[in-house]
Amino acid sequence: MTPALAALFLLAAAPSAAQMLPQVDGWKLKSPPATYTPDNLYEYIDGGADAFLQFDFQDLTAATYANAQKVELTADIYHQRDATRAFGIYSQERRPGSTKMPGKLEGIASADHLELVVGAYYVKLALPGGGDPAILPRFAEKIAAKLPGPRTLPPVLACFPDQGQNPRAETLSAYHFLGHAFLHDGTAVPYQAAGARFRLFAVQGNDAADARAMVAAFRALAQLPKAEVPAEGKLVLKDPLNGEVLLSWSGRWLWGAVDHPPAASQALVDELGRRLLRR
Amino acid sequence: MTNSSIERRDFLCLGAAGVAASLAAGCATVAAEKKAASPVAAGPEPPAGAPAQGDVPRRSLGRTGIEVPLVSMGVMNADNPNLVRAALDGGIFLLDTAHGYQDGRNEEMLGTVLPGRKRDSFVVCTKIFVKTLNRDTGLFGPGTRGEEITEKLDISLKRLGLDHVDVLYLHCQSAREGVTHEALMKALEQAKQAGKTRFLGVSTHKNEPEVIRAAVAAKLYDVVLTSYNFKQDHHLEVQKAMSEAAAAGLGVVAMKTQAGIFWDKEKSKPIDMKAALRWALRDPCVATAIPGFTTFDQLQDDLAVLHKPAFTPADAAKLEGGEALAGLFCQGCAECLPSCRHHLPIPELMRSYMYGHAYKNRAAAQELLLALDLPAAPCEGCDTCPVVCAKSFDVAERVRDIIRLREVPREFLI
Repeated sequence: MTPALAALFLLAAAPSAAQMLPQVDGWKLKSPPATYTPDNLYEYIDGGADAFLQFDFQDLTAATYANAQKVELTADIYHQRDATRAFGIYSQERRPGSTKMPGKLEGIASADHLELVVGAYYVKLALPGGGDPAILPRFAEKIAAKLPGPRTLPPVLACFPDQGQNPRAETLSAYHFLGHAFLHDGTAVPYQAAGARFRLFAVQGNDAADARAMVAAFRALAQLPKAEVPAEGKLVLKDPLNGEVLLSWSGRWLWGAVDHPPAASQALVDELGRRLLRR
Repeated sequence: MTNSSIERRDFLCLGAAGVAASLAAGCATVAAEKKAASPVAAGPEPPAGAPAQGDVPRRSLGRTGIEVPLVSMGVMNADNPNLVRAALDGGIFLLDTAHGYQDGRNEEMLGTVLPGRKRDSFVVCTKIFVKTLNRDTGLFGPGTRGEEITEKLDISLKRLGLDHVDVLYLHCQSAREGVTHEALMKALEQAKQAGKTRFLGVSTHKNEPEVIRAAVAAKLYDVVLTSYNFKQDHHLEVQKAMSEAAAAGLGVVAMKTQAGIFWDKEKSKPIDMKAALRWALRDPCVATAIPGFTTFDQLQDDLAVLHKPAFTPADAAKLEGGEALAGLFCQGCAECLPSCRHHLPIPELMRSYMYGHAYKNRAAAQELLLALDLPAAPCEGCDTCPVVCAKSFDVAERVRDIIRLREVPREFLI
């Protein structure tokens, strides 16, 4: 399918604003919901729009509900290109160690905010003037029931070893992991182990040749001598901009550790690799 | 290596800390010119061990007296602290963030970079959005409290690990009444008096001329942060307001200079970022611009513009070529649809026309056409076309033109 046809198909498949916004007893829409596109998202969230665009933002439905006590609840439903991109922007905004929302959905909750990710949608609920926070998960469940797509985290996250992992602190960077244009999307997870703080990461190539091309570019960046990149291997690289990188690769995967990883982190890197390759 | 053509390999070999010194060599002409034009030289000092920032081309940020680099960093979508470190070490020492960016994570990320650096080696600007602002009208609703600014600023300072910012903006203003809201102006003034910010400003990307003029009239603000780019229909009006602000002593900072990164919705035609940035910087009223960047390659481009900011005929040609493409770009507003008697998918037809004529990709144009499953004579029975296009495209003519592609054998198009 061509990108143009795929876009047409996605547009047809996406639920409308009216279909996404639930009816909740005691709450009414204060005004018709607003819709924003990549061209005018900045009118709603100013410079914050850039981060959403980075993750292939498609459209936003923004609604404000009010109850009889005039408590207001805002529901912002951001539609990104796919589930990975929706998780990406959610992961960038989520504060490490945030409290998980009640129930099975992937989301975090505080006294006046709730953020969750469902399929290609990142949903932000808020009580801007305060109110009973118990209403937030109720709204979240009802909105989630109307959204298509998986309710689970990206499968790659399950490959990161549990030991030493900081809870709910995974991040997904769009397109240029570590700020390098030659790297694709990268998933990174912070760890605290062997008396150090560092991150493990995984980057997926389109195929094995693509992954080797990324390794070759990384080698060139670190000024290593030109050499054919074997099908699998591991290296310690001096990235002039990000410091030492423990890098491994095999098949279409690159993985490793950054942010001054201690030597002891190699065992975690190897475990991550075993899990990635079993997928 | 010249300052105008720093090579990627050189940039990477030097590492972040070595870039500024290399770029600075040979750019004395620009720096001297700008320094001569600047009444005050109270810029930050370089951090200990870093290359001398004094050599980066700067302009004066109005009456604040701060000498800022011509190119600064919009931090809004950067998640890699090493990128910020590289920017700072390269001489891009003004960082622009906001209380609300990434739900506060953006300020927190800066908070991992800034502590440990000399406070006068960088300039930090943040913005506070007051939640009662009606974005459609630009007016603040009932219940607007100045305390919201105080509370949010305290949180921002904690995230940043600083005791003050250099400029605090009232975020997202689009009407005179918003800029001059009494309770908010009072809270901003108190923040300045308390030493939590050195200067005050407003940011705007809608009704910019009105907002800029209101900021001048309010006599409270020192800086305006405004959208300004070559694609703005009203850029001449913005420019006029900016020059009035500069004449009144306000510092002017430009944002959205890249005008959206791509010419087209499909993200296949990138705007030449360096040309767009130089277009904004050619206006002497603009003290600095704050492009966002997420890769070291983009940082390298920004550093190249910082050290060679002159807008050239080649830059103009790049922007004009893109504008021609923009003239073929249907924004898909769908306002035309109700007026077509045959209910044709006009936005898709206009896209096919763009593929064929702007991208010269007739195979893609044909593929889209065939997928639309049009009748053999789509406009049959319409002597005059009732369709009115919001962008004034001659829809009938373009439809007539592009549907001919359906009959062309595929092998002639690939």
